[in-house]
Amino acid sequence: MNTEVADPTNLSEKKDFLVRSSSLKDVRSFSREVFEKFKIDEDLREELVLAIAEAAQNIVKHAYKDYPDTQDRMAVRISCTGKELEIAFFDKGKPVEESKVKHRAIDDVKPGGLGTFFIQEIMDSIKFKEGDKPWINNLVLTKKL
Amino acid sequence: MTYKVTDEGDTSTVFLDGEIDMDKTEGAKEVIFPLIDAGKNVNLNLSNVQYMDSSGISVLIESHQKALEKGTKLIIKDVSKSVLKVIMMAKLEQILNLE
Repeated sequence: MNTEVADPTNLSEKKDFLVRSSSLKDVRSFSREVFEKFKIDEDLREELVLAIAEAAQNIVKHAYKDYPDTQDRMAVRISCTGKELEIAFFDKGKPVEESKVKHRAIDDVKPGGLGTFFIQEIMDSIKFKEGDKPWINNLVLTKKL
Repeated sequence: MTYKVTDEGDTSTVFLDGEIDMDKTEGAKEVIFPLIDAGKNVNLNLSNVQYMDSSGISVLIESHQKALEKGTKLIIKDVSKSVLKVIMMAKLEQILNLE
């Protein structure tokens, strides 16, 4: 885990993970560890962990849909200014077509299509960016504290 | 995730534990679906499940719908506070049978 602590009110931690469903538990452990270090309110922590895990799951399920045995890694960076939390995801998978990122209608009860809904419910903003090399996708989630 | 199944008459109780995510859903389905297919009523005890993501919620929906199709009943019991929060976020508390 890389820690950048130039300013105690501006914390940032980043870690990379193999793009696999088996990495999701490690993504959650990393997130919980960082939120504890950042002293994020306990009630909010697990919601944020869910949003992060759903975004990481989307990378595994969608950006690497056709490459289940990839050796690529994805990175998660959690930054906190004290007033706002920013969570950034980086991957080298299939470029995200933002117009296709939709959750299912919530009253159309069926399996699937809830991950993006959870992220939207929990976070204040969701931005898809083109990643700086070597990354292809860069998703940025923010939440006011 | 580990599980235990107990049987009483036409009802099976499945005790799941741990964290249920995309990596664990197939295992959960392999336990629950054959019971429903066999015409059993299923109690799904989630008291020891501390975390569930959208994949886990999909297993609950799929199991619930499968039970309806088969004319049996799936009851979700003893849901932990953290999992209930996710079920409520998905607006499923009135759809699923929670006890």
